[in-house]
Amino acid sequence: MKILIMLLALALMVATAEVRCAEAALPQQSVYQLGDSFSDHNGQDFALASRRGKPQLVAMFYTSCRYVCPLIIDSAKAVEHSLDADQRQHLQVLLISMDPDRDDVAALKATAQARRLDSSRWTLARTSRDGVRRVAALLGVRYRALADGEFNHTSALVLLDIDGRVLARTEKLGTAPDPAFMQQVRAALGSQHATAPHAGSAPD
Amino acid sequence: MKTHTRRMLVLVMMLTLAACQQPAPVTAAPEDTGGSAKGDFGPPVGEPIEAILTAPPLVPPATGRKQPAKVVVNLEVREIEKEISEGVTYTFWTFGGTVPGSFIRIRQGDTVEFHLNNHPDSKMPHNIDLHAVTGPGGGAASSFTAPGHSSQFTFKALNAGLYVYHCATAPVGMHVANGMYGLILVEPPEGLPAVDKEYYVMQGDFYTVGKYREKGLQPFDMQKAIEENATYVLFNGSEGALLGDNALPAKVGETVRLYVGNGGPNLSSSFHVIGEIFDKVWFEGGTRYQENVQTTMVPAGGSAIVEFRAEVPGTSVIVDHALFRAFNKGALGMLKFEGPEDKTIYSGKEIDSVYLGDKAASAAPVAAAAQAAATGALTLEQQVKSGEALFAGTCSTCHQSNGAGLPNVFPPLAKSDYLNADKDRAIAIILNGLSGPVTVNGASYNSVMPPMSQLNDDEIANILTYTYNSWDNAGGQISAADVARVRAATPRPEGAAH
Amino acid sequence: MRLLPLAMLMVPALGLAGGGYVTLPGGSYKSVLAYEDTGGTVTLAPFELMKRPVTNAEFLKFVRRLPQWQRDRVPSVFAESRYLAHWASATALGSAALPEQPVVMVSWFAASAYCEAAGARLPTWNEWEYAAAADATRADARADPAWREQILSWYAKPSNQPLAEVGQSPANHYGVQDLHGLVWEWTEDYASMLVSADNRTQQEQDRLQFCGAGAIAMDDRENYAVLMRVALLSSMEAANLTSNLGFRCARSIDEGTP
Ligand code: HEC
Ligand SMILES: [Cu+2]
Repeated sequence: MKILIMLLALALMVATAEVRCAEAALPQQSVYQLGDSFSDHNGQDFALASRRGKPQLVAMFYTSCRYVCPLIIDSAKAVEHSLDADQRQHLQVLLISMDPDRDDVAALKATAQARRLDSSRWTLARTSRDGVRRVAALLGVRYRALADGEFNHTSALVLLDIDGRVLARTEKLGTAPDPAFMQQVRAALGSQHATAPHAGSAPD
Repeated sequence: MKTHTRRMLVLVMMLTLAACQQPAPVTAAPEDTGGSAKGDFGPPVGEPIEAILTAPPLVPPATGRKQPAKVVVNLEVREIEKEISEGVTYTFWTFGGTVPGSFIRIRQGDTVEFHLNNHPDSKMPHNIDLHAVTGPGGGAASSFTAPGHSSQFTFKALNAGLYVYHCATAPVGMHVANGMYGLILVEPPEGLPAVDKEYYVMQGDFYTVGKYREKGLQPFDMQKAIEENATYVLFNGSEGALLGDNALPAKVGETVRLYVGNGGPNLSSSFHVIGEIFDKVWFEGGTRYQENVQTTMVPAGGSAIVEFRAEVPGTSVIVDHALFRAFNKGALGMLKFEGPEDKTIYSGKEIDSVYLGDKAASAAPVAAAAQAAATGALTLEQQVKSGEALFAGTCSTCHQSNGAGLPNVFPPLAKSDYLNADKDRAIAIILNGLSGPVTVNGASYNSVMPPMSQLNDDEIANILTYTYNSWDNAGGQISAADVARVRAATPRPEGAAH
Repeated sequence: MRLLPLAMLMVPALGLAGGGYVTLPGGSYKSVLAYEDTGGTVTLAPFELMKRPVTNAEFLKFVRRLPQWQRDRVPSVFAESRYLAHWASATALGSAALPEQPVVMVSWFAASAYCEAAGARLPTWNEWEYAAAADATRADARADPAWREQILSWYAKPSNQPLAEVGQSPANHYGVQDLHGLVWEWTEDYASMLVSADNRTQQEQDRLQFCGAGAIAMDDRENYAVLMRVALLSSMEAANLTSNLGFRCARSIDEGTP
């Protein structure tokens, strides 16, 4: 009788462990460990972890930026363009505003429309000021608000794997994508079917 | 397989090409080597090689390679407290734990995978700018490394030559003043001619809050650095680095090559070896050499390769021939040549030697005494010998070598009743100087003797012991402890430090 | 205002205030960071700053309360592997980390989380710099060479010796201690210091690297002592840490802090 109970308990433990493993187990190195709440350009709230499952192209920008930021969007588009239609379906683009004071949902929506960004793949997002600081820290983007409301910032495209780990990053922006970076993007898209959905690395 | 052969072929062709160009006869202007445009010999061949790094004064062996390789360099940055002079320490920031930093030796066309590792105990971030790198900042931007981290960057060495590397983290001058520099030799494709001995000597200027030889841990003095008012000018990062037992050895008949660098941060070096003539100087560390050179200029952030043959036995003294740096700020080193004498070559009468004769002769007993003092085995005889040498260098200009002084100006030390009356007073005079009327052996003097503030306790003890045991003086022995006691009891006069 | 998940865990009674806070009046002062847009003149609202850096004992309380910040639990994106490595264990200090020594080997994420849990935040660089410009008697002692020498003398000490305990140095004009001579300190906006990694590069290059105004020039020799802090902070990533880098917290006083 005792043994039976113990076995039962053991089975239960194994079961819960499996469940936990399947549903969570974010890798330690995952940017998705960040708990901050974001809203997309349709006003939908989300957590970064909800982006799991597909590789992401992530960058930071702000909508009123006239110089480099339009180039950031162009660069992300250029990455998309050099993929075939099937690959393109599997890559998502996440642009996070570093200017939460001015970039409300409406401003994000306006930019998404003006730049004809396909909402099925592109997400423009905002979060709190502190959230911006944290996500920028995770992505290695440095920025500073200027007196005139502009931002001084470094610009980078960051490639995340399906679990939110940084795979590659480039600061070479422009309409001709950085070849080394493209190679990594293709590799990520190619390997994603093989590795999905549980990326094995056991966090503790 | 196929591509491999083709690559080899290309390489062979390029090598032949390079070889063909070299001996082309020259009429008017000397033919150039083609510089960086002809410095790429193709992709690295073979397995990556871990670079051999050496601490000064040693130099890694010649690469001996005929093909470009991938060379991996692992250089560790450490911030360490070390002796800069006897009894004086300084917190050096170093590449590889030494000043200058580890010597790196590669061949033109090599691809260098550089790892800069900043020790976890470091306070500061550091980076490296290698003058051998063609590219923004010489690698500085790609190698900015926080404590406990490491950075990696790769470059191809396109130009042959002897290059300085240094830290370029703000404030750059301070990082360099703290010892963050070294040399990287990029051998030309055919290598350098073989020699018997190779050594690594690098000059640097140092700025401490305390005066020259003031004991204890000395902090960096930013103001003195800005004013270019060096407290120390040193070869290989400390006063004794190339003196006494650390003298660079060679045998008579051997050819010696020095890889000379100057880290600065401020002072250019008039690099000279007393009693030697450089047979060859690859001036500015470049491709061509000049022959028969007495003194070569090594700018801050620059280098030179000098070569000479050890002709006669004895000690040759390496100096910055801006001489107050040599004799008052520490820019002294030694080469020790061993072997049979040849009087036909050295007669001992040339001007430089006379001047040096003193100094060259003096250094050995001084070093011996210092060592004996350190081990507690200092004899009266050693003290007298050391004191004699120091007296010749420090006191004899005024009091004369025979201690007789000069009438009305410099009182005698020989049979001086004033000297013999009070030993502590004599110590105090050397420490603090003396001015105002004094009567010595019945004659009165009214002049000024400046404080001999560059002397340390051992040296003062030795000079006075020599003085008391010479010229029919009272005899006896003065110890460093005596000097220390008097030093502690007498407040340092205002302004003596600077 | 705050959307932070940790805000919910904010416990005013946590007892994490390192020697308590002192109030600084704020106002205008000249920063060493001479950005093009400000010319270096900065205006600060009044704020509160911890009198001393956060200690090991205080940080221990924090990780006991919020175990996700214990060294065996924290995700590596938030703190590199050496996080609190000098502690005896995840929840014990040991001989290499005395209770009253400043806590070091903490990442920016961990330091921020600590302050947040204490109902505070990290000070901005400008707040820190403003507070640190004072000596015992003057609000701005920076023109005094002696003040500079004293700061520089810390750099001359090798860092393989144990850190002093907090609160040993005399309080400055505002009543704040240990701003110099003990540890580097994280600031909230350390990542806004767009110092190019090679400070000798010309503005040209910086313009390409940084959208908008150029990187700050680090050529002010009068301020070498403080600029070295900037150099250190600019070499760090948010998950990084060093054996000399600690922090203290700050609070705004204008809008309703409890
Ligand atoms: C720049 C010249 C100068 C140098 C170098 C110098 N002295 Fe003197 N010394 C003097 C003068 C001048 C006096 C007399 C001072 C006075 O008139 O008050 C003096 C006085 C003395 C006296 C006391 C008077 C006596 O004759 O007994 C002693 C002892 C002495 N010196 C020892 C030394 C020793 C040892 C050294 C080397 C470490 C040295 N001095 C280096 C110029 C010098
Ligand atoms: Cu450095």
